[in-house]
Parts: sequence; C-alpha cells; structure tokens
Amino acid sequence: MILLEPHNYIIQTTLAEKCIKPSTLDVQFVDFDGVRFHLSSTDRKTSLLLSMSIRCWDELVNYGVNDVLKREYGAMVRAEPEPEYNVSLDIDLEQVPPEGEERDALIKSIALIKRNVLAAPFELAFQTQKQLEASGSGQGDLMAMHYRDEEAIYVQASPDRVTVIFSTVFKEETDRIFGKVFLQEFVDARRLPTIQSAPQVLYTTREPPLEIRHVPGLIDSDDVGYVTFVLFPRHFINPEVASATISHIQLFRDYLHYHIKCSKAYMHSRMRHRVTEFQKVLNRAKTEVAVTDRKTASGRSMIRLT
Amino acid sequence: MSLLAPIICDNGTGFSKVGFAGNSDPSFVFPTAIATRGPASQSTRSGPAVPSKPGHLASKRGVEDLDFFIGDEALANTKTPGYGINYPIRHGQIENWDYMERFWEQTIFKYLRAEPEDHYFLLTEPPLNPPENREQTAEIFFESFNIKGLYIAVQAVLALAASWSSSRVTDRTLTGTVIDSGDGVTHVIPCAEGYVIGSAIKNIPIAGRDITQFVLNLIRERGDMAVVPPEDHLKVASKVKENYSYVCQDIVKEFRKYDVEPYKYFERYEGENSVTGKKYNVDVGYERFLAPEIFFNPEIFSSDFLTPLPEVVDTVIQQSPIDVRRGLYKNIVLSGGSTMFQHFNQRLKRDIKQIVDRRLDASVQASGSHIKSSGIEVDVISHKRQRYAVWFGGSLMASLPEFYSFCHTKAQYDEIGPSICRRYQIFGSAT
Repeated sequence: MILLEPHNYIIQTTLAEKCIKPSTLDVQFVDFDGVRFHLSSTDRKTSLLLSMSIRCWDELVNYGVNDVLKREYGAMVRAEPEPEYNVSLDIDLEQVPPEGEERDALIKSIALIKRNVLAAPFELAFQTQKQLEASGSGQGDLMAMHYRDEEAIYVQASPDRVTVIFSTVFKEETDRIFGKVFLQEFVDARRLPTIQSAPQVLYTTREPPLEIRHVPGLIDSDDVGYVTFVLFPRHFINPEVASATISHIQLFRDYLHYHIKCSKAYMHSRMRHRVTEFQKVLNRAKTEVAVTDRKTASGRSMIRLT
Repeated sequence: MSLLAPIICDNGTGFSKVGFAGNSDPSFVFPTAIATRGPASQSTRSGPAVPSKPGHLASKRGVEDLDFFIGDEALANTKTPGYGINYPIRHGQIENWDYMERFWEQTIFKYLRAEPEDHYFLLTEPPLNPPENREQTAEIFFESFNIKGLYIAVQAVLALAASWSSSRVTDRTLTGTVIDSGDGVTHVIPCAEGYVIGSAIKNIPIAGRDITQFVLNLIRERGDMAVVPPEDHLKVASKVKENYSYVCQDIVKEFRKYDVEPYKYFERYEGENSVTGKKYNVDVGYERFLAPEIFFNPEIFSSDFLTPLPEVVDTVIQQSPIDVRRGLYKNIVLSGGSTMFQHFNQRLKRDIKQIVDRRLDASVQASGSHIKSSGIEVDVISHKRQRYAVWFGGSLMASLPEFYSFCHTKAQYDEIGPSICRRYQIFGSAT
C-alpha cells in the first residue's frame, strides 16, 4: 500500500453490512486529522444518522462547503446537525438502490464525506483561477484551513496557477529528520524524466514561503516546515483530474507521516536482522570448555554439579 | 479539541479485533495474517532488501516493504503468485516482530484511519506473556508510531470486566475464573483481584478448530459430505457448528429424543457450490449436540486428552490460594467464540457443582458427620458480549476517565525507557 485511500473503510463496511441486514447500532470512530464520526440508528432500524465533526468547519463554511455537500448528498444533509458535530447525513436504508454498482457508488460517496468536505476550498480555488485567467490579472484570496492544532493548509489562486502550502510540525526529533530527507527526495525525484508533469514541490524549514509571510500567528521554530505545491491548470483540466488531484493533495500530510512510519518499520526490520546476524557470530566465537575426566581414588569419574 | 477515543487492539492467534473505545463491537475483525512478497516464512532468513546501486534514494530500493496485505485481503491474495502468507502470532504470542510491526502499521493507517500520535492505545496480551515481549511491543508503539500512551492488559482480566455487562453480575470484582476458548486453544485462568494466578493456569488442547473437525468427521462417516465439494468441507462443518449446535443436559436422553422424532430435531443445511453454483443439502443430526460434547466427554474425539472441562476448572481452582477459591467458584466467566453454544453455561455449572458437592459430602463423611460445610456457590456467567469479550472488556475499561492515568505516556517512556511497560497498574486497584 503506497497511497492512502481517500474513503473511510469503517463507513463503507458498516453501511454495506447494514444495507443487507439492518439492525440498531451506535458507533463512534475517527478519521485522519482529528475528524470524529458518529454513526447511529435513529428511531427505526433502517434509518441511520452519520455525523461528522471536523476542526476547521467554520473556515470551510466560508469556502462554500455547504454547496459541495448539497451537490454530493442532496436531501440527505440534515439542516440541523447533531449536537457536538458539524454535519449530519440521514441515510434511509429502505431507499438505498438494489444491490449492485449503484448501491456501491452511493456507499462509496458517503464514505468519501471527509474528502468532499475538505475539497471545498480547492474547488473554489480552481474556479477562481479560471476567472483570474480570463481577466488576466489579480490574486485570489488566501484561504487557510487550520485542520490540526498547529498545522494548516493554505490555498491561493493566481492567474496561472494554484498554490497549496502545508505547514508541518514534527513533534519527534527522529520524525523531523526522516521528514526532511523525505521531503528533499520529493523535490529531487521530480527531476526524473517520467514524472516531469508532476506539480512543482518546494520545501523550506522555518522560513515561511512568500505567499503566507504576511499571515499573523505563524510559529517560528525549527520544528516547522513548509511544503508548497504549485498546481498548474493541467492538474485540474477536467473534473476527473481535478478530483484526483484534490484527493491526493489533502491526504498529503497523512501520506508523509505514514511513510515516515513505514521507513522506521523498515529500519527496525533491518536492525533486527542485523542483531540476529551478530548473535550468530557471537555464538560461533564462544570457546568450548574442555571437559576433562577426573577420577576419584576408587576409579569412578567425578562430575561437578554447577 | 476533545480527546479522541482510545484504540483497542486485541491481536489473537486466529483473529485480530480492533476498534475504538466506547463502542460495543469491534470495528474490524480480521485474521491475524499478513501476505508478503516471497514465499511464506522464509524471507526472514535472507533479511530485508538492501539498496544495491547508488543514485537517487528513490531509485535505490524498491517498495517491497510496502507491498503486503493483511487480514481478509491477505487470505484472498494467497492464490496470487508471488505472495506468501504468514501468521505473526503463534499460541497467542508474537513470534515475528517484523511482520507484526507492519501488520499494525496497516491496521492503523488503512483500516482505522487514525493518526497514532493522537490516540491512546490499549493492547492485550495472553497470560504468562514474558515481559520482554511487552517491552518489544512498547518499543514498536512508542518509537515507530509515537503514540500518546499505552496500556497493555491481560486478556483474562478484560474478559472478567466484560462480564459486568451481564445483569446477573451484581458486584463488580476482578476475581473469577475465565474460560477462554478461541480457535486454537482453551485456557482456564484464575484471576484474583485483577492479578492472574500464573501457577494454576491450565490449557486444554480442544477448541473451535477441533470441534469443526469433529463435526466434519461425523458428517463424513454418515456419508452426507459426498455432495459437498471437498474445498468447502471445513466451511460447511463450521457453519453447522455455529448455527445448529447446542449443549444437551443428558446425552442418552437426547439420543432417544432424536430417535423418536427424527423429523422434529434433524435439521438441513443448504449450501451452494462456489464454483458451479449448484445447490446441495446436508442433513444435520446428532452432531447438533455431540459437537460441544467433546468439552465434557473428550474421549469421543481424542485419545490423548481425556480430562473433561469441568474437572479441569475444578483442578485449577483447587490449585489456587485457598482464600480466593470461593470467589473463583462463584464467578466463572466464559469468553471467546467456542463458548457460544446454547446452554453451555448451565451444563458447566451443573457438572462443576456435582464435583464440588461430591467432595463436600466426602469431607463430611470423613469427619464422621461432625463438621458440616455451609456449601459452596458455583456460578457460570454467560453474557451477550461473550464472542468478543476481551475486546469489549477493553472498550469498557478504556472509556473510563481513569484509564488515562493508568497508561504510560510517551513522556514517561522517553524518560525511563521500555522497561516502564513491564508493569501496569491494575484497573480498580487503589491508586
């Protein structure tokens, strides 16, 4: 598994199961970036309520998340979300299409709710870029999403590109070093001829990129790094490409952390391998203790019990 | 931001149960299996791949270490050429740490979709797990995954906690005997106030897999298996076991009942050939009550192990310290899928009660009827959450507000090192 998938497995499997056999349920679970879900059955077994809480909801509302939700889920969106949550979907299992592709598609789209919610600012930026390109000048608004306690995503549209900036904080010393190597590789790997069309990636530590330098409240410490992706119009030329781009880019932080962990696991397995090899060498180096047969006066052999 | 729910991860020999605290069922139950590139259980010898040629880091080595599947996907991929299946846990203990680390990696990132930095974890371990294993686990979780905090609980204690959900349990104690019967092995574990009495634990080599095999033998001998395609034999047998079996109170009477009214008691299992789609029927007869009977009369299945389960339970309790025996008899808790048979608890209770009463009578006689015992209360507790009792117990414990104070945090780990995880505070004990 190299890439993380954008949809939530728990939603997908639970819904598929409940479509076949409805029963009461009440589960809470999470997704990346501190997103909390609550899936429960209401008064009837066949009507489910899926609620989601996301940290940067207030910011997302400004960037048109409600329109995106309306487009994706239509009437399923509840006007008044469940308390403590930001958005609620009503799922009526009696109205789910019969088993087959259609049902799978519906379940999949519900499982993608977090992705769709976070996609709002990106879609807005892509639209703004088109308008700016037509008018030929100006800058879009800098949209910030504080999706974690200390980290944020900034999206800004320009006439010829959309810039996405991630601020990352590494709490762990080891992670920071791994992350640095990893991000450096990102920059280098682009030189390979096969991936020339990939978005441009820039990486800086401590120094915020020019686009966000004016933003107040940026943390100034060595633990902070900034990753800038420059998306050109070819990365969102048609809706399919655009949605793939959004899916990938919003999981970037999780992708990075996942791979840091994978690299560590790889290193650990190398270390374990080495240790067993060394142990073999040590075992070989043991000197054998010569056993001399000592006889007692009566001629019986004496064995010392240690 | 409110605290995210702790993650409960119960990795058993056969299946892993993972999910979030506060829920009543695990979010995922899948086989503890990992399918990796290369033949099964051989790749450890040659070690992981080494970078061969210089150049860009990205081109230096392949992505073999990312190319693996876990759980159901692993089983599905065994037929793909190039993949070999491995089971990192044997007899409840982790054998291959490389595979286990990667198994956890994918559990967390692919299935739970959680960031380990944001969560507390509750893991389980079998009784008599060496402390070195606990340290290894802690090393992986704190150093690879940077988790917030960790608690490692003994499975038997969690099973006891899970029994609190039963309405028959009035006082919430952590004293009791746990009968944990999963797929591979059955354990009888006495616990006194949250501590496992290690010297008295006994294993019975009869568990789910053996029952399935026994059912299969019975149907085969009758000749009914002929209609079933050979690759489905085990599946059919386990379905029959799960859906039709129950424990009878008197085996002779039960046989007679079946002979008088065979149509009332015989069942029919309907299956479908997975390749041709042809339907077939299998009659289900005496195996309905004979299957779980091998716990009570093991001689009908094997000639190696002949002690019935009630006798084993009694021996275990008799070997425990004398001051807790009453509590152990009073609170016998079932856990695991193979204890799910109907009326299992009543039969077990009756049989243990008989053994105990017989001993009491004998001691009354030996004293010349001068001393009379006030009797010993025997109770076997069966509850709704029995199948995933260990996981449920974990979920219950981790949703308590005190849970966080029992955990070892990342800061403590960094300060003291892995040895901190050798000891954990028992739930419910005075702080």
